[in-house]
Amino acid sequence: MIKALGYFIEIIRGILITTRHFVVNLFFHILKVLGIKTKRKGAVTIQYPEQKKEVASRHRSLHRLMTRKDGKPRCVACMLCVTVCPSECIYVEAAEDPDLEIQKYPAKFIIDLGRCCFCGFCVEACPEDAIRMDTGNVDFAEYSQQDLIYDLDKLIG
Amino acid sequence: MTETLTEMLIIFIKIVCALVWFLLLTLYLTWLERKESALIQDRLGANRASIFGIRIIGLFQPFADAIKMIFKEDFVPSFSRKFLHTIAPFISFFFVAITIAAIPFGDILRIGNRTINLQILDFNVGLLFVLAMLSLGIYGIILSGWASNNRYTLTGGLRGVAQVISYEVALGLSLIGLIMVYPSLRLSSIVLYQGELLFGFLPKWGIFLQPLGFLVFMFAALAETKRVPFDLPEGESEIIGFFTEYSGLKWGLFMMTDFMEIIIVSTLLTTLFFGGWQVPWLASDGFHFPWGGELMLPHLVVVLLQVAAFNIKVFFFCWLQILIRWTYPRFRYDQVMDLGWKLLVPLSLVNIIGTGIIMTI
Amino acid sequence: MIKIFIDEQQVEVEEGMTVLKAAERAGIHIPHLCYHPAFPPEGSCRMCLVEIEGFPKLELACSTVVKEDMKISIKSARVVEARKAVLEFLLAEHPLDCPICDKAGDCKLQDYYDEYGLFESKFSETKEKREKKLKIGKTLILDQERCILCTRCVRFLKEVTKTQELGVFHRGIDAEVNIYEGAAVLNNYTGNLAQICPVGAITDEDFRFKTRSWFLKEGESICPLCSRGCNILIEYHPGFPRFEVPRRAYRIKARENPEVNGFWVCDRGKYGYSYLEEGRADKIILNKIEGKDVLTWENISEYLGEKIKRVSSAKKTSGIALVLHTWLSNEELFLIHKIFRKGLKVKKIFFADLPQGEADEYLLTSETSPNRRGAQEIGFDIKAVNLDALAKGTDFLLAFGPFLSGLFSLKALKEVLSKVKRKVLISSYLNEVNSLFDIVIPAALIAEKEGSLTNVDGVIQSFKPALEPPGESLPEWKVLADLGKELGTDSKLFEDLNSPGAILGEMGKEIPFFKKK
Ligand code: SF4
Ligand code: SF4
Ligand code: SF4
Ligand code: SF4
Ligand code: FES
Repeated sequence: MIKALGYFIEIIRGILITTRHFVVNLFFHILKVLGIKTKRKGAVTIQYPEQKKEVASRHRSLHRLMTRKDGKPRCVACMLCVTVCPSECIYVEAAEDPDLEIQKYPAKFIIDLGRCCFCGFCVEACPEDAIRMDTGNVDFAEYSQQDLIYDLDKLIG
Repeated sequence: MTETLTEMLIIFIKIVCALVWFLLLTLYLTWLERKESALIQDRLGANRASIFGIRIIGLFQPFADAIKMIFKEDFVPSFSRKFLHTIAPFISFFFVAITIAAIPFGDILRIGNRTINLQILDFNVGLLFVLAMLSLGIYGIILSGWASNNRYTLTGGLRGVAQVISYEVALGLSLIGLIMVYPSLRLSSIVLYQGELLFGFLPKWGIFLQPLGFLVFMFAALAETKRVPFDLPEGESEIIGFFTEYSGLKWGLFMMTDFMEIIIVSTLLTTLFFGGWQVPWLASDGFHFPWGGELMLPHLVVVLLQVAAFNIKVFFFCWLQILIRWTYPRFRYDQVMDLGWKLLVPLSLVNIIGTGIIMTI
Repeated sequence: MIKIFIDEQQVEVEEGMTVLKAAERAGIHIPHLCYHPAFPPEGSCRMCLVEIEGFPKLELACSTVVKEDMKISIKSARVVEARKAVLEFLLAEHPLDCPICDKAGDCKLQDYYDEYGLFESKFSETKEKREKKLKIGKTLILDQERCILCTRCVRFLKEVTKTQELGVFHRGIDAEVNIYEGAAVLNNYTGNLAQICPVGAITDEDFRFKTRSWFLKEGESICPLCSRGCNILIEYHPGFPRFEVPRRAYRIKARENPEVNGFWVCDRGKYGYSYLEEGRADKIILNKIEGKDVLTWENISEYLGEKIKRVSSAKKTSGIALVLHTWLSNEELFLIHKIFRKGLKVKKIFFADLPQGEADEYLLTSETSPNRRGAQEIGFDIKAVNLDALAKGTDFLLAFGPFLSGLFSLKALKEVLSKVKRKVLISSYLNEVNSLFDIVIPAALIAEKEGSLTNVDGVIQSFKPALEPPGESLPEWKVLADLGKELGTDSKLFEDLNSPGAILGEMGKEIPFFKKK
């Protein structure tokens, strides 16, 4: 009997909690419609495409290739990222740079983002800090698979 | 001759008005459900549907939903019984929609020397009619579950039927006390009785005369609507239920039936326990306050006030039912049955006996 | 035979051996950089230090000769410490630009650092700047910063080619490997330098930056470009799952075989590997064919057999002519010998090979095909193609190889071949002569099939497939074995000849030269 009573009390409490939320949130929404600024908001929702959330600094987002001071890619086409990539979605073709200090540069650098699993291994493996995943860009959806294959220009740009 | 024609015209207008009211309210109940749940959960709710960039807090959402539902593929599984599969949602929809005919929206409207009853049909067995129609809705459930020819839908349908039939008993019994108090089955007279005063100041509403009956009726009615916490026939997220094999417009009909049941339950609660269109102390010529003092009002204003009171009460119960749906978790099946048979039915019996004893005294 | 102990393990070795060789023979690896089995020990890198009981200091394994009951330890704390120190000194002046170094992946310095080094560098001084991209001849590039002065290259040029184009100049920190003024490394064996340099100091433009060595797989094969039959490794890219790689074979390395080529290959074999991919035929080409319009590998021998039977029964065998070449393996030539010469008594057999080239005094021979000796030993009379004799009275011509087009003008060939009723070509290449034949069947190359070759000195060398044959190509011996069965001259024998090994066994029975020694 006591147990049943407790149960009943909890039921009532439950509906009071939801009612409170309803009323309080409605109140703040109305204040907002009336143009009154309050610290608290009626909802925690972030209105996505218009409002964006700051991604954490360690978040792994779209890749970018770093450049040297003169704008050439920092990458030396060592293909360690190609080797380590578990999705096997990076392709690099090297070419000879006349600059003796550089010697090797990527003539082709392709990442198939449709396959990438954003593990960040490529960033870890790179000995030149040439590739990073810190653009903060997470919404690069495309309508075709082909458009998700990023080449050197897109990765540097 | 002209007399019958006008009568028919008036009935026709009443039917159209009532149906429009019913369906619009159904549509906006979906909106209310979204928004209310959002508020409860600190969200914003659907607010993207727009016409020419105008959004007004998602008020167009029901229309967007409707358009989507109409244009979705109407999928009929190849293994189903096609005819029954097609007809089932319409049966469900029809029997709920027709109940609105017996609900009194207001008292009598006088235009010139003609009096118009603000009710489509004033049955002398109105209450029984509503209950009967609601029971017939079960056929929609069992037919859809069976005609889909899928063991899960069949199980869902069986659960649904068992639940609805069980609670029908409590539902019916809980009203017996009420009928004993207001000795009529005519819904309009039940409302009229509630216009009287108790101890000179308290309106003679069903809630005051039949508190226990009210509680039992409300729980039983909630179970009738098959929504959380009684959504065993079709748990949206987890349990496979009777309309799993439906899509598009037919699925939409089931969905609408659900919301229409909410409205019907609200109108019944209002009519039976909260004085229907009655406003406390408002008589047909104006307010007569119990502490003396009067406020005379023109006839049209009185009628408007009554209709408004009816609507406000109905809205409140709709809101309350949605609140309940977003507060509680689902019952286990045995708990549903226990609640129905072991608690509500005995309680309603107690209510009948108690009412009888008090009345004889 | 004497016995020594390496890390307590007793090993029997021949007298006069060095410790390093003795350990190697026993399957124990002692790290070394400058020692190369082809040359006498030099002792310049100090990587091979070991501790020997009774010797006060650590000794060089590469140049210490074993003695009875010598107790050697190669893992003691002193040795490990010394090895680490040697590595540290070697790396003190090393640029460590592994990301752009072609050797990375099979660099001994990398491997040893990984196994024995793993220290933090204590040097804060800037490293000496040297020439990083010095062209030293043909396709070789010298990076003096990466050189560890092991002098393997210098010794190779002194002892193998005897041309001595490289030397070590200056002393101390200025010491460097360089070419003598005005000279360049221009002999026929330069390709080996990139292979024997233990680090990435000498790299090869032919391979430079094309891929990374760890992507490559090795396949053992025999070089078919001259009749020496040098043993080689073909390093090929198995491909990436999602991207196309520009080619298959990336480089050729010498494979050790003291009997034939020692440790080396010549530059023709090293760089001439484009024949593996360029212009390969990968589909059966049907130019003119009656009856069945689909020919596959399953029914091709049936088809050929039927045609040959018809010709031989109508006109005797003078209606059949063959054009062979000596890139065919012993087994294939033997099958042809068996079916056509012995079985059908065909007389018109010609050989179409590329003309002879220049020989050098070492490995390269003047013969440009690998198996002329094999053909001779089987008993073929190697006649060059005579077009008139070939076409006269011929109804069926079966030709092998792409070389006809190099020997005759297309016009002359067309004129002659138009007289022959039915012509079939089995060739690995897309070639202009292909259009003159009714059917062209793609064949696998030596690198892609199994068999054996007889080199200029009569050494019979077996080989296994190193690469996959492209498309529909299959080895010739398969077609020939099926054809043998089809023609039924000696069908019971052909039942058993279902692998090159079996064919070679049969050859040994019939021709004493091929008997296993
Ligand atoms: S993040 Fe991971 S999967 Fe994506 S490219 Fe880098 S290594 Fe490959
Ligand atoms: S690991 Fe870095 S330097 Fe090497 S290829 Fe990838 S991006 Fe370029
Ligand atoms: S030779 Fe090349 S791969 Fe070897 S350690 Fe030096 S830079 Fe690295
Ligand atoms: S270039 Fe290579 S082989 Fe020659 S001395 Fe230097 S490290 Fe040794
Ligand atoms: S291998 Fe012995 S000193 Fe170099």
